[in-house]
Amino acid sequence: MRVECRNLQKALRQQEPELLEAFAAHAAACPACREQLRQWDAISKAAGGLRKSWDSPQLWPRIHRALASEAARGRKPWVPAILLHIGSGNWGAAVAATAVLAITISGAWILWRNYPIEEETRTRPGPRRLLTEQALRDVESAEAAYIQSIEKLSKLVEPKLEQPASPLMISYREKLMLIDSAITELRAGIERNRFNAHLRQELLAIYQQKQRTLQEMMREDRNAPQ
Amino acid sequence: MPTPQNADSMLEADSELLAGCRSGSLPAFERLYSVHGARMKSIALNLLGNVADAEDAVQEAFIKIYRGIGGFKGRSAFYTWIYRILVNACHDMRRKRQRRQEQPELDIDPAGLNFPAPCPVDHPLRLTLEKHLARLNPRSRTVFLLFEVEGFKHREISQILKIPEGTSKNLLFEAKRELQRLLWQSRTAQRPDAL
Repeated sequence: MRVECRNLQKALRQQEPELLEAFAAHAAACPACREQLRQWDAISKAAGGLRKSWDSPQLWPRIHRALASEAARGRKPWVPAILLHIGSGNWGAAVAATAVLAITISGAWILWRNYPIEEETRTRPGPRRLLTEQALRDVESAEAAYIQSIEKLSKLVEPKLEQPASPLMISYREKLMLIDSAITELRAGIERNRFNAHLRQELLAIYQQKQRTLQEMMREDRNAPQ
Repeated sequence: MPTPQNADSMLEADSELLAGCRSGSLPAFERLYSVHGARMKSIALNLLGNVADAEDAVQEAFIKIYRGIGGFKGRSAFYTWIYRILVNACHDMRRKRQRRQEQPELDIDPAGLNFPAPCPVDHPLRLTLEKHLARLNPRSRTVFLLFEVEGFKHREISQILKIPEGTSKNLLFEAKRELQRLLWQSRTAQRPDAL
């Protein structure tokens, strides 16, 4: 394109840096183009002042509550991630993720169906609680026992998780990441309602799954050729 | 708030943030908010015209990011994907508001809306520009805001709005030409040499 006044609009539309530089040089000797470029630049400079900034200390807590509520409702972002793993051909991770999901759902379902909700809880007037205080203490104690055993196991497999030596170990690591994310979500949901038996049982089931996975990892590691 | 120049550093932080958010970790979402929240608020306010709606739109965008992160295929940068969700949330909110108010088109009047205080280094043209921006068509206005106000490049805008880069350049040109015309009109109506 030739650097002529009639081409200035075209240059401004195309926004090629070299062309704009050439027109800036041309404008030094051309008052009409100079004025056009000045107005163009003035708009850009003024636009910088349109960026808005204000304090909103309540916004993140609001968003956090909304996300925690999403998590508690069971909208887990890792569920579509399973499909993503399958789509990307990462079958190991997809199988691991599907296993976690299936175990979580079936475990939660079985426990939910079999969990003895006391008659008092069913008939008591006022806000309906899914767990009584006694049941809550039992669940929390079981949960604490699992966490304790899992922490011990986790310490043992930590070096293998940091530097997985085989594709199988990589799959285990990904599976554990999924399990941990599920634990985080369930915990967030439980923080909102400590008496929600459904979430408690899901959490216990997922902790059991983590424990089994860690044990399998250790077994595989022992059987691996040196 | 990320500056317009640090797109590269945003890309670097992208994969780490993406992994965290994908795992559903709320601290990762908090980090996402601390990196992008201010810019998201600014875009939302300029698109919607008031602080309450802007904050609602940012919240809605975060919920959509949380729900949709598993389906993010990585065809674009993570950060352009979140701004895409935000812009769509703003458009949805504006449409809902229009239906509620039965107004044919949003006509933002900066004088009557809840805007935060202008930045300390203000430009004499800012208010006039703000007023005229509301008269642009929504696509041109969005491109103008993303490019000139928020400092995104056309490559990034093309990912955010899912349009070709050339279209982004054209829309920006149309926006600036229309603004120039409107500013020229107001200049001749008020006082000479204002622009």
